[in-house]
Amino acid sequence: MNENSTNTELLIQYLDGELQGEDFETLNKNLANDQSLREEFENLKLAKEAMRSYGLKIKVGAIHGDMMRELKGNKEPRAKVIKMIIQYGIRVAVVLIMLVGISALYQYLTTSPEKLFSENYRPYIIHTMRGVPGSSVLSEKYKMGNMDSVIMEFKSLRSPQPEDYILAGIAFLEDKQPAKAIETFQTLIQENTNSKTDYFEDDAEYYLAMSYLSNQEPEKGLPFFEKIQADSQNPYNSKVSEWFLLKLKSLHVKN
Amino acid sequence: MEIKKDFTDTSLIQSLRTEANPDDAIRYLYRTHYSLTAAYIKQNSGTEEDAEDIFQEVVLAFIDILKKDKFRGESSVVTFLYAITRNIWLNELNKRGRSKLRDEKFEKGKDTVEMDVSHLIMNREITSQLMDVVDKLGETCKKILLAFYFDNLAMKEILQTLNYENDQVVRNKKYKCLKQLEQMITTAPNLAKNLKLYYNE
Repeated sequence: MNENSTNTELLIQYLDGELQGEDFETLNKNLANDQSLREEFENLKLAKEAMRSYGLKIKVGAIHGDMMRELKGNKEPRAKVIKMIIQYGIRVAVVLIMLVGISALYQYLTTSPEKLFSENYRPYIIHTMRGVPGSSVLSEKYKMGNMDSVIMEFKSLRSPQPEDYILAGIAFLEDKQPAKAIETFQTLIQENTNSKTDYFEDDAEYYLAMSYLSNQEPEKGLPFFEKIQADSQNPYNSKVSEWFLLKLKSLHVKN
Repeated sequence: MEIKKDFTDTSLIQSLRTEANPDDAIRYLYRTHYSLTAAYIKQNSGTEEDAEDIFQEVVLAFIDILKKDKFRGESSVVTFLYAITRNIWLNELNKRGRSKLRDEKFEKGKDTVEMDVSHLIMNREITSQLMDVVDKLGETCKKILLAFYFDNLAMKEILQTLNYENDQVVRNKKYKCLKQLEQMITTAPNLAKNLKLYYNE
């Protein structure tokens, strides 16, 4: 071992606090007198400090990775839950949209004037209006449900009363003669217009619209249904829903 | 389940300065101070990634300052960490060519005092140069030198982790490794000079 490496070894022992006794004293003196030795010692000291800085960097770096995962982990669950809720919500919305779409498509494909008519037709119930004369014979036959007799009786009348038109129109409708029903209801409406009255006007308009439906002319019934739906006071208002109108309009699109 | 240890300023400083294994104290620093640093960085033109990098540097600088006994306890730990954060981040912004103080938005704590800690913090470029140099040492050399100078292990303890005949062989190896590192530092441009300035501060 040459002198240089001996000195270096002594310097390192000195640096590590392992040099004692005579060697320690001698090196102390040499360091005081030898510039290059002192420089080497300073550089070795730098190397030692560098290792400490390096070690600290490695240690903090390892903990840094752990801690960032921990600190981010505290934020992630909430974000994950929100993400899951959004994803779940989107899936539910997609399923709902698909169901609504399938339902709408089904309704569209299966809706027909006959179906709409049969689903919504309600027989007319005779009600008494004070001061309005009616044909008791026609009423009695109507109550008995004998529609052919109602029609025959109506045809024999020379000057039918407003309710006679209604009962006869309904009889034609139930007897699968919607064109005749249309004609009868239109006559009553026209007579009301001519005499500036409105006897059984609401009934006539509703059943006229239903007659158009039965006669495969939904587009002609639509304005009447829309009028009824727009008037909350109309006695037939509850029978004409938005959904019903929508289906009616879809018939128009299909045609 | 991990037990999360709490520290006072005094016990935190004591642990970081003297303990051979200050992991709990470092973790405590992250749990209690990272969010403040992140808020400051993000309010001053930085990103979450910047905040992560800067906080790691802040922790390193803080521990280094404590080990060098340069922290005199004249301010709270949070104030001191703020001063370090501000210094490192403003230097970084400066390097990136941003105007720094003009748009600084961080609302300082009541006990915050303007503190010049720049001379206590190792410049990022010097740190990087130093790390590169040490990285070039062989794995065995790094292992021995870290075990001895950073973990403060005795030669016999180091021997148990290495495949050498006896502790004298390890001692000789350590001597050669330190000498090699010293030569690498002195031959790297300006590194020895800069390190001397920093370590002798």
